[in-house]
Amino acid sequence: MDRKFVFRPVLRYTTYGLMAMGIIAVATGFLANGERALANLLLNNFYFLCLAIGASFFLALQYITQAGWSAAFKRIPESISAYIPWAALIMILIMIGMKSLYPWIQPDEHSFDEHSMHLIEHKSPFLNVPFFLIRLVIYFTVWVFMTRLLRKYSLKEDIEGGMIYFEKSGFYSKVYIFTLALTFSLASFDWIMSIDPTWFSTIFALKNFITSFYHGSALIVLIVVIMHHYGYFQFITDAHWQDFSKYVFILSIMWAYFWFSQYLLIWYANIPEETVYYVHRLTGPWKTVFYLNLILNWTVPFVVLLSNYFARKKMVLGIVIVFVLIGLWIDIYEQIMPGTIGDVKIGFTEIGTYLGFAGLFIYIFLRTLSSAALIPANHPLLQESLHHTGH
Amino acid sequence: MSNYRILGVYNNEDKLLSSIHKIQESGITIHDVITPYPIHEVIEALKLKTRLPVVAFISAIFALFGTGGFLYWTSVVNYPLVFGGKPQNTLSFIIVIFVMLINVTAVVTILSFFIRDRKGPGAVPYLDYKGISDDRYVIVVDGKINTNEQVVSDLLKREGAVEVAQIGVPETKANH
Repeated sequence: MDRKFVFRPVLRYTTYGLMAMGIIAVATGFLANGERALANLLLNNFYFLCLAIGASFFLALQYITQAGWSAAFKRIPESISAYIPWAALIMILIMIGMKSLYPWIQPDEHSFDEHSMHLIEHKSPFLNVPFFLIRLVIYFTVWVFMTRLLRKYSLKEDIEGGMIYFEKSGFYSKVYIFTLALTFSLASFDWIMSIDPTWFSTIFALKNFITSFYHGSALIVLIVVIMHHYGYFQFITDAHWQDFSKYVFILSIMWAYFWFSQYLLIWYANIPEETVYYVHRLTGPWKTVFYLNLILNWTVPFVVLLSNYFARKKMVLGIVIVFVLIGLWIDIYEQIMPGTIGDVKIGFTEIGTYLGFAGLFIYIFLRTLSSAALIPANHPLLQESLHHTGH
Repeated sequence: MSNYRILGVYNNEDKLLSSIHKIQESGITIHDVITPYPIHEVIEALKLKTRLPVVAFISAIFALFGTGGFLYWTSVVNYPLVFGGKPQNTLSFIIVIFVMLINVTAVVTILSFFIRDRKGPGAVPYLDYKGISDDRYVIVVDGKINTNEQVVSDLLKREGAVEVAQIGVPETKANH
């Protein structure tokens, strides 16, 4: 019941192996094509940052709604969000080469016409290097501070018990989601949208926020599925699986809604400045990526989890989530790559970098998870979670 | 013996649920449970199965391809208008497909439910009892199978039924 997760050496060396592979991929990538390797670093760092932010949002949401069913699993989102400081470190390293990622820093007369140059000039009070870096530091300070605070309260609750830390966590969760809504929206504008500096979409931040929440929650469910398979969380019933798959199912619809809203608004308004974004993404090989994104992130989870029977099968749920997590990669790839490297290129650089980041992410996750009791013994809603039977 | 049914009327969901389990434990078959809203535990306890979602799914697929095909035919094949340089075959079809899908699915599902259950104007009500469709919870036990009527009534009363009644069933009715 109160047992800890043990970070076995086999797992530890596997993550080291993945990290080594990632370093090789990044190094060979920089030797061959620096811009492509840098874009990949940004892509993968943003990918895992999205998962960490989404998981921390999930955690905050459970406190705010005082949801009982999920109380026993809260160590998982806590441990996932431990990646945020590392994402900050890597993001700062990426920004050393920001000139090759963001064309607004030194707009090139050949690739932008006069009107576009004027637009970039017009945006310069917001999009300039010092302010960009100051914002980056502010975002990460807020996220690291707030997630650490929630983690600290959670660990103190284990020792001291009582309602005080639950109430404090509830209050700071509200502060957190408020600041997160502001900072993550601006962060997605800064890091992803400004790759195409003349293009803009006001729903972009919402879409990325819901992407992060969706995939963060899906990752939590996947981890629960895997850990249940290896003998943890044996109290899980059909009602738990039902609630987990509900989360994935509902959020897949939400994701599709925002994904489509952005498309529809731009299609309907038909302004050349905006449509160019989709014209690029709907020509040639990008068309495959575009539709693959929709299929993996919406069609697969929607069609499979529609059935009540499949929604309660943990193996089905796990396989669906693997598709969804590949879908997140495709989604960010589709947002970053057309503006940076232009063509669809998937090779050792892409896969190796992804595996390297996955190794780092899994290593930090498992190390944090093994540092505290798996079940938060003094959580006030723990019994409700352990004996959850549906409604 | 003519066919009749024993009704136990409850005014509390929890009492209804515990009563269902007690009745099933004592070996009495429950014919039906009537509640003001769907309750998962009742469906699970009675092991009810329905193919209505399958009907809904098939009609939704039919609506998807029907509407999608219609839009494609009208705006791409038969009368391709270019306005503002927008592509003719676009994802904006989704809105119309989505709305039609809801419409077709709802209508087909309701119609098939009514046909399968033989409901509609002029249908004979299968349980003619005052207040059965109010905000009360009713357990229906078939008198033909459970012949010992006194035992059933006593059990229903002991489990907290506010009313216990016996009503006859029209012989001609082909009920479920």
